[in-house]
Amino acid sequence: MSLTLIPLLIAALLLTSGDPGVDTVQLIMFGEHEVTEHVGALIVGDSTVTIPSDARVPGPVYVIGGELRVAGEVAGDVTQLAGTVRVEAGAAIVGELQHVAGTLTVDSDAVIGLRTSLDLTGSGSAAPGSGLLPGLSLTVLLVGVGYLLAWRRPIALANVSTAARAHPVVTLTVGALAFLTVISILVFMAFTLVLIPITVLGLIAGLLTLGYGLIGWGHLIGTFLAIRRRGSATALGVVVLVAVLSLVSLVPVVGDLVVAALILSGVGAVLVTYYGVAAFRPEPLPD
Amino acid sequence: MVAAGYVFYVAVLAAGYYYNLTFVQLGIIDLGTRLVGSTASQVSGAMAGFAVAALVVAVVAGRMMDRVGWSSHLRVKLRILFFVVVGQTLLTVTAPLVGTPAPFIVWVLVCSVTLGVGMPVTFSLMIDFIPIRHRGGIAAVVAGLAFFAAAVYPLQWRLEEFAPVMSALMAPAVVVMAVLAFRRLRMVEVWSRQHERFGVGRFVRGAEPRAIRFAFWISVVLMFSVFFIDSLGFLRIIDTPVFIYTSWQSPELGVRLFIGASHVLGAAMAGVLYTVFGRRWLFLWILGLFAFTHLLYTFQLGTAPSGIEPPLSLPFFYVLAVSFYTTLNFALWPDMSTPANIGIRTGLGVGIAGWLASFLSTSLALYSRDIGLSLLEHLRYVNALALLLAVGYPVAIYLRRMRRLVRAGSVS
Repeated sequence: MSLTLIPLLIAALLLTSGDPGVDTVQLIMFGEHEVTEHVGALIVGDSTVTIPSDARVPGPVYVIGGELRVAGEVAGDVTQLAGTVRVEAGAAIVGELQHVAGTLTVDSDAVIGLRTSLDLTGSGSAAPGSGLLPGLSLTVLLVGVGYLLAWRRPIALANVSTAARAHPVVTLTVGALAFLTVISILVFMAFTLVLIPITVLGLIAGLLTLGYGLIGWGHLIGTFLAIRRRGSATALGVVVLVAVLSLVSLVPVVGDLVVAALILSGVGAVLVTYYGVAAFRPEPLPD
Repeated sequence: MVAAGYVFYVAVLAAGYYYNLTFVQLGIIDLGTRLVGSTASQVSGAMAGFAVAALVVAVVAGRMMDRVGWSSHLRVKLRILFFVVVGQTLLTVTAPLVGTPAPFIVWVLVCSVTLGVGMPVTFSLMIDFIPIRHRGGIAAVVAGLAFFAAAVYPLQWRLEEFAPVMSALMAPAVVVMAVLAFRRLRMVEVWSRQHERFGVGRFVRGAEPRAIRFAFWISVVLMFSVFFIDSLGFLRIIDTPVFIYTSWQSPELGVRLFIGASHVLGAAMAGVLYTVFGRRWLFLWILGLFAFTHLLYTFQLGTAPSGIEPPLSLPFFYVLAVSFYTTLNFALWPDMSTPANIGIRTGLGVGIAGWLASFLSTSLALYSRDIGLSLLEHLRYVNALALLLAVGYPVAIYLRRMRRLVRAGSVS
């Protein structure tokens, strides 16, 4: 499963849990499938799902990747969060067809109960450069928090950055292992539907940890800048870090790997220092 | 010369473990059930006998090595290893010729003797070649190499596939071992004095003998449990086409490379964690990973329609857990020993935790298949055991710490 699908999967499960008429979910992640009958909600992942012309499925249907071809009838709603949806001639969606993102093609001979669109991407009539807004907002947030941390909790931040600098292999290992297991456990919890609130809390905690790790790296960069005030040095370090990461990520594959390694190493540094509470000291070994 | 020692150690242990993973663990089952024509119950009985015999031989050999002083005598260990490799080569060559139950039993017994002797000898080589600081990393290299090779080749887990590969590997190994064991080489002289510097293990330095004994037996129990859970689940998983042909025996090379690379990744992570945090954290991760893995398998079996291809995350977490404990198994026993007792410690550690647990659980898995227990029911038992250990271990650590505090009079 592609990692980019995980947030969308959790979003789809969250939407499903809010529907009182749904008590089961079917997730189709791989291959090509023809769905003629199913019970509960249907989530389309990295797969091609076709509802043939003589079939009637109850819905709701969530598309988070891959492709959904509707030739028959969907009695409930169809929500497209990503991927491709094709509604062919003679097909019918009795409920609401809600388009959030992805490619949507609806034949003029198809029958749609209600068609709505929710634009979260900022495309269309948005001002030039507005696509950079989320990245800039995130950077400003990291800079602000970094400034505050460096001012109020300089030792904690120093512990994190020292761990990342002095023990990159250890912090990368711990970060990668924690990421792999935690993300899988969160997805697993989301499938239970009951634990979706815990999943959301876990995701928030994970994002905060990730941000703390990035600020730790920014603090480290700040120590090399000729700025005396700790807060300003860390803030500028975060800006430099974000700029470097953005540039490095332009290099295909290797760039992404370097960025991932830096982020995971930051996460590991946060974890091994107990969020900066204690300096990391490996177990002493005889020479 | 020191670097050559690292290479020699890695080559011996990785090849030996590859032999164990493929030819012994999977080859004997194939030999017994398909070529000899015995029932699963008969083969499980033979496997249990094999395990007990290997354990007894390993303990006796280890004890003898310590008593006579061979544990700290590299040249003697190399000579014993030479004869073990010769014996295993003969067993490998003759395996396809075994066609009836009586020779099969004899073959299994002889195999258990060679492995039983080989266990304390090979595992104790770490004190002659690898300093404490590098043991986690080197153990990771050995585990990663052996598992990567086993994941990529051979595709078919049949004796006819294993035997030629093993014979081709062992023929040059016999020659190298003969030269190292019987020729007077300066390199071997240097190697044979290294245990004086780093022979005393990491977990026995400065500790009281009683505490060391306690820690050793706790490790044996934990490792036994981990090996037991692994084999108990794995034998039934690989018996299920939808799981095995989409992972370990997938016709797609890319999938098998993924499995192999995951093993390498898991071993590398375990090597780092062992070096930096010690054995407790690694045990916690191993038990947690196994519990999670079996939860994933039972979830998949209980919810996905039959025939649906399972995601690769299932074998991924499985191989991660396996690489973790294998890496620990290579480094742990030498680090809990001194040159005076490494024979018996590795014999007991690897014998009880490794062989006895694997083969007892293998025979139990074959028995469960024989009585018609479904995979889901079987894995529920495995999952229950894994969860019990994953929860029980941290609770036991916590309670022990509390007991210490109470004894120290911290309660006011």
